[in-house]
Formats: sequence, structure tokens, C-alpha cells
Amino acid sequence: MEALAALAALTGDEAKAASAAGSAGFAYGLAAIGPGIGIGYLVGKSVEAMARQPEAAGMVRTTMFLGIAFTEALALIGFVVFILIGL
Amino acid sequence: MIALEFPPINEILRWKDLFPGFNKIALIAVAAALIGTIIFLLAGSKDHKTAPKGVRNFAESIVEFIENGIVMQTMGRDGLGWTPFLMSLFLFIYLCNVPGIIPFLQMPATARMALPMFLSLLVWVVFIGTGFKHQGLGYLKSSLFPPGVPKALYILVTPIEFISTFLVRPFSLTVRLFANMLAGHILLVTFALLSEALFQAKGNPGLIPVGVLPLFMLIFLTGFEVLVAFLQAYIFTILTAVYIGGAAHPEH
Amino acid sequence: MLTAVVIQSGDSLRVKLVSGEGEEGHSEDGHSFDPAECAFEPEEANPNECGPGPSPIIPEMKELVWGAGAFIVFALLMRFFLFPRLKKGMDARYNSIREGHENADAARSSARSEVAQYEAAVASAKAEAAKVVDAARATLESERQTKIAEANARINAKREAALRDAEAAKAAVRGQIESAVSDVVTSAVEAATGKRPDSAAVSRAVSDAMSAGVR
Repeated sequence: MEALAALAALTGDEAKAASAAGSAGFAYGLAAIGPGIGIGYLVGKSVEAMARQPEAAGMVRTTMFLGIAFTEALALIGFVVFILIGL
Repeated sequence: MIALEFPPINEILRWKDLFPGFNKIALIAVAAALIGTIIFLLAGSKDHKTAPKGVRNFAESIVEFIENGIVMQTMGRDGLGWTPFLMSLFLFIYLCNVPGIIPFLQMPATARMALPMFLSLLVWVVFIGTGFKHQGLGYLKSSLFPPGVPKALYILVTPIEFISTFLVRPFSLTVRLFANMLAGHILLVTFALLSEALFQAKGNPGLIPVGVLPLFMLIFLTGFEVLVAFLQAYIFTILTAVYIGGAAHPEH
Repeated sequence: MLTAVVIQSGDSLRVKLVSGEGEEGHSEDGHSFDPAECAFEPEEANPNECGPGPSPIIPEMKELVWGAGAFIVFALLMRFFLFPRLKKGMDARYNSIREGHENADAARSSARSEVAQYEAAVASAKAEAAKVVDAARATLESERQTKIAEANARINAKREAALRDAEAAKAAVRGQIESAVSDVVTSAVEAATGKRPDSAAVSRAVSDAMSAGVR
């Protein structure tokens, strides 16, 4: 309540800055969910593959890093958006 | 109540000019190129007949890593000619990343937009050039109209392929390197600031011992950044190799 | 032309990159990358619009130029000078190592063939020795056989001689007995008949009776 009142008291640029800070946090938090799940699944499956076939571990590791790189890009774009909005 | 104020982001990223037109980022980039050159210069001037030791051993293990870990895994034997380019890419990025954790430097040069953007634009030019050199105009056909897709679907597939190959690739290369290093830098700054603020808490002396906790986190994150610095250089290089290999041989 | 302007606000120093008044034509290119258009105007005029410096997403010209220059020089050096030199040494060493391996293999196989030769020689010598021993054994055997045969022959001869002696003695004794018996028979017949029997008939009858008796 108090916070809302404080928000209401802000005007113009200040209100804009406050909402930007809030939405930046949301932007990054939401952007991190999908890649987090994705990377966890990906690495887990890779470990499983390496445990099943240790002789293919080198190839699996390379492919795993490639997959991580592609998946992680989404979270990083979220991070860049966070910086663009929030700062 | 402690007074913890995070500085504006430019205060932790932008640096005063050491002399006009030359700041810390430029210094790190030049130093990285210089260190890489010196390592290979020293390594090349050592006796090559006996078993390698010291700097020559280091340089040769980098060469072996690039050849066996990156080129052979992604491009096969045909790609061995790309080893010097990929190696200079890897070494340069790594030596630009590592100052992020070196005391008193404390700034990864790749956490600024300039270097990642330049490098990924260079890679973009290189892999498109390779595609045209190896396949001529067939490169556009094989990359925009992938074989084995029903004709009607090309309306959908071609724009997607165009965006993902020619627009998203350089963008994601840039953002991946830049954002990883910037995030690491901001994390280190955050925990260092938190620790400092707790150690210097005026009104409440009970908070001072608590400042050890962010300090431990800072040490842990520094170790993590060592890993990230290597991993980002590796991922940038291996993605470059994959893009070049894909442009040279469309069947892969 | 870029010049750094240091501004003191409160207790913090802030550095700002300001483009020069654009004496050179190419500086227009720089501005598209360069932090914010506001850099042309003095900071104090409208501080709100630009905030404290450019956004961190925008690359700075001087960093771009220095980084690109450093990397291009490094990559070219690596491509045309540093890497070939190192690689040449590596290849030379690897080749020498491979040659050493091959030499070692060749030496090993030659040593192996020498061992085989030696073993063959040993085997042939053994065979020869065995042959000699066999021959010696055969001669020995044949000599023994001849010796045994000689001894047997001698023994047989002796035995036959003894037999002959015994036969002769037996025949002599028989003759004596015959003549004695004929004498006895003649005298007995003379006494009985008063007539001297024919001596030839008597001796035949005696020898018939004796040989029938011997049988």
C-alpha cells in the first residue's frame, strides 16, 4: 500500500524509471526460465549418453557445448534486454 | 540499515582514456594480441627436435587442442587449413576474457560491445565468403532452399533459414560472448560491493562478520569466471568452425 | 578526432567522449557508432536526455578500432609467420618420431629373423649330431651282432665236435659190444650145435637185435 502510494506520488520521468526497473527484472526472470530448463535437460541427457557409451564421450561433449550455446543465447538476449530497459 | 548503492553501469564499464583514443579496453586487446604473438614467437624459436618443454609445450598443446578438439570434431581433415585463424580467434578471445579476473585489471575486454561485434562480423564475412568460394551461387541455394523439403513449404522455410543463417548467427555470436562476460563482471562487482558495504557498516557492528559470506561467494565466482572465460572462447571458436564447415560442405 | 572531457558532478568524476568539431569528413561515419548524439552538446544543457554516458550496448569507436587492429595483426601474423614456423617444427619432430618407430620396427623384425636363423642353425646342428650318434649306434650294433654271431658259430662248432666225438665213441662201443656179443653167440651156438655158424649171419642177427633193442 505504502509502495503504491509512493509510486503514485512519482510523476513523469520518475514513474517511467520505476516501471522500467520493475519490468527489466521481469524480463530477465522470464527469459531465464526456458533456457534454465532446457540446459538442465540437455546436460542431463548428455551425461546419460556419456555414461551409456563412454567411448563416444568426446563427440557428445562437443555437441553438448553447441547445444548449450544455442540454448543459452535466449537467456543472454533476455539479459541484454534487461540492460537495455533497466539501465 | 546499510547504505548500499549500486553505481551506474557505465561507471563499472567505461574507462578513462590512458591517452586520447586509447583506453583500458584497447590496452587489453593490444596486450592480448601481443601476448599471443610473444608466446608463439618464443615457442617457434625453441629447439623443435627434442620433447617440447615450457612455452613450446604450451603452444603445441594449444595447437593440438584446436586441431583435435575443434577442427577435427566439426570440419574433419579438410578444415585443418583453418587452424591458424581459429587459433588466433581462440587465443585472442581468451586473453581478452581473462583480465576480468586478474587483479588490478579486473575488466574483461569482451564485456564491451566493440570486440565481440567486430569478431562476429568478421566470422560472418568469413563464413559467407567461404560458402561462395566453395559453392559459388549454389551456396545461396543450399542455405536458403534446404533439400528434402516439400516445395510448398519453401514459403515458410526460406525466410526462416535466411534469418537464422544470415542475421541471427552474427547477432547470437556477439550477444553470447558480450553478455556472458558482462554478466560475470556485474556479478563480481555486485558481490565485491556487498562485501565492502557490510565490512564498512557504520551503525551496526554486528553486520561486519556477515561480510565474509559475500566474500566467499566472490572467491567462488572468480573461480567460476576462470571457467567461463575459457568456455566462451571455446564456444565462439567451435561455432565459428561449425559455420565455416557448414558453408564449405553443405551436406554436413 | 575524439577528445575526453572529464566532468565533476558531486564527488564522482565522469569521463565523456566528445567528438571534435569534425574537421575531417570521415568523422561522420564514427558518429553512427559513437555514443549518443548528445555528445555534440555540452552535458550541462540537457543531462536528462543522455544520462550518464552512452548505453553499454553501443560499441565505442576507439575500442572497435584498437581491438580490430590488434586482432587482424595477430591473425595475419599467426597465419603467415607464427603458426607455420611452429607447425613445421612439430611436423618435423612427428616425422622423426615416426621414422624412429619404423626403424625400431625394422630392427625388431631383423633381430627376429636373426633369431630364427640362429634357431634353424641350432636345429640343423642338432640333427647332424643326432645322425652321427645314430650312425655310431648302428655301427656299434652291427659290430655287436657280428661278435655275437661269431661267438654263436664258435659255440655251435664246439658243440658239433663234441657231438661227433660222442657219436664216434658210441659207435666204437657198439662195435665192441657187437663183436663181443657175436663171439659169445658163436661160441654158444658152437657149443650147442657143434658146428661153427656162419659169422656173417651171426653178426647181422646181432646187429638187428641190438638196433631193435636200442630202439
